[in-house]
Amino acid sequence: MMELKMTDLTKQYGRKMAVKGISLTLTGGVYGLLGANGAGKTTLMRLLCTLQKPTGGKILLDGKDVEELGEEYRGLLGYLPQDFKYYPDFTALDFLLYLAAVKGLKEKTAGKRVAELLAAVGLWEESRHKIKTFSGGMKQRLGIAQAMLGDPKILILDEPTTGLDPKERVRFRNLISAFSKNRIVILSTHIVSDVEFIAEKIMVMKSGQVIHFGSPSEITAKIKGQVWECRVPTEYAEKYAARLNVSNLRNEEDGNTLLRVIAKERPMEGAVAAEPKLEDLYLYYFRE
Amino acid sequence: MRKLIFFELRKIMAKRLTWAMLLVAVLLTVLLHVSTYQNKFAFDGQRQETGKEAVALDQEIAAGYEGELTDEKVRQMLSELMPQSGPQGLNVIYIYQNAMQSAVAARFSDMEGNWNGLSVSDVFGQEKIKIGYVDGWLGAIQDMTKVFLCLSVVVIVMLTPVFGGEYGGVEQLILSGRYGRTKCAAAKAIAGLLAAFGTTAAIVILNVALAFVMYGKIGLDCSILFAPLSFTEGYIPFNITCATLLKYRILLAFTGIMGAAGITLILSALCRNQMTALPAALAVYVLPALLPFAETSSFFRILALSPLYQILFVALMSVRQFAGSLLYAIWALPIAILLMAAGGIISGKIFAGHQVSA
Repeated sequence: MMELKMTDLTKQYGRKMAVKGISLTLTGGVYGLLGANGAGKTTLMRLLCTLQKPTGGKILLDGKDVEELGEEYRGLLGYLPQDFKYYPDFTALDFLLYLAAVKGLKEKTAGKRVAELLAAVGLWEESRHKIKTFSGGMKQRLGIAQAMLGDPKILILDEPTTGLDPKERVRFRNLISAFSKNRIVILSTHIVSDVEFIAEKIMVMKSGQVIHFGSPSEITAKIKGQVWECRVPTEYAEKYAARLNVSNLRNEEDGNTLLRVIAKERPMEGAVAAEPKLEDLYLYYFRE
Repeated sequence: MRKLIFFELRKIMAKRLTWAMLLVAVLLTVLLHVSTYQNKFAFDGQRQETGKEAVALDQEIAAGYEGELTDEKVRQMLSELMPQSGPQGLNVIYIYQNAMQSAVAARFSDMEGNWNGLSVSDVFGQEKIKIGYVDGWLGAIQDMTKVFLCLSVVVIVMLTPVFGGEYGGVEQLILSGRYGRTKCAAAKAIAGLLAAFGTTAAIVILNVALAFVMYGKIGLDCSILFAPLSFTEGYIPFNITCATLLKYRILLAFTGIMGAAGITLILSALCRNQMTALPAALAVYVLPALLPFAETSSFFRILALSPLYQILFVALMSVRQFAGSLLYAIWALPIAILLMAAGGIISGKIFAGHQVSA
């Protein structure tokens, strides 16, 4: 099985450390990358895509330095950046055919694969339309399609569900789940539920470091006993929400509101311990 | 690789600005040539013509003296073509009646239009000067210089986005692709140079074709030294034919524009985006003209080989004649090849090593 290893990976911009000595080994599967803005997720992904050179440490693919592997490594990569541009006068079809050429796909294979991917992301009907006519969600789907061109063994997706409606998000999750066999898929998102559904392992990043790495149940176990559900009268709900670390708030028919609270100790009388979820974990670490 | 070059060419040529600027170059070509042609004037003492008829009259007058320039022909021209007096006290030497009269006046007449006492060998040494109607082609070549200057700017504008235009975000997709840093970078440089070459070729063909339609082959085998006054003072001082001059004009259009293309590609890859690459490329292109070196300075010989001076033509063409039709300007060819190679290789390497900013 393919092994992508980061050893003491560091990236520094001037005095700011964007990535601090990350050492991780990834094998096949879907990895969710969680972290607040500025946690270093995008920098880590760019380092993995060789778009930035690390200040220290190495990235090894099956024991070989990816910098030295060069084309061979990039031939295995698929990448969807968080912010990127398109050629507005290109059609979706031409854009993918161009990137297929950049990725080294043969012309015949490229045409077939591009058509398949456009259909998979629901853009086949619009494949001959210019990209400048596309909505944000359509552009994002096109971005997902280009990342999957060339059947990459390592797929890196930075905020892939941004701009997608719920139906499209479901389609995306199914697509990634089906695609992920025998591949390494890394995806970062603010939408925790996306990761929760499909990621086998979660990496939680804070201040350039991976502070937790494990399966969703392993990760959430860290805050077991710190998630509570409390029922309060609806008129006081906002007061409580301002005082406590509330991950969810649901009004009930009986005039009460159910608060999901993250706290080390029982936050109030009648609070019941609940099974922690990823969203709770996210809030636990990134409350501020 | 061919597919990549095709896509890169398409990206360059798909821009509306490119086509708008090329249209300007085409319109300028037509406007300049037609205007020069329409403004031609000739008077043989009886007939006064303008435009097409003036060219025909000039060619008819020149046909009467065609061949090698001799002292006899000089005296014959002075007596037959020079006016007796100028209007309102104007010196006769400055009166323009027709191309041959202006040519003989420029070299062999005193202020009153009389022979200045110089023989052909006094003026041209041992050079054999073949005379004929050269005003048409010399004017056309002068117009071409203006067009090529405009075209060089068009090419710079056209090529600044080749690499710089990708830095807005698309480069992340390209540089993480298998051949993004290798074949794609090379394809971009090749496409840039091909686009520059293609547009230059198209505009050169248009210019030469228009000149041929207007003046035909007449005068191409004649020396540029026996030309009207406007092509005497400060013009190229070597005994070459109009055909040779035309060949150099075409050569220097290609070398100058391809050299500028090479520089532009490097700056396009080097600058943070196309908006900074454009003024940087234009500044580097015009810089040689702003440097305070006189044409007599030995450093000027090096400066004159810059793409801008290749386009501006006359200064570089006037540096030195090695032998016959071999001029110092021929050095523009290796310089252009060097700039193109440097542009292609260096820009590709810069792009390949580009780090996506934080």
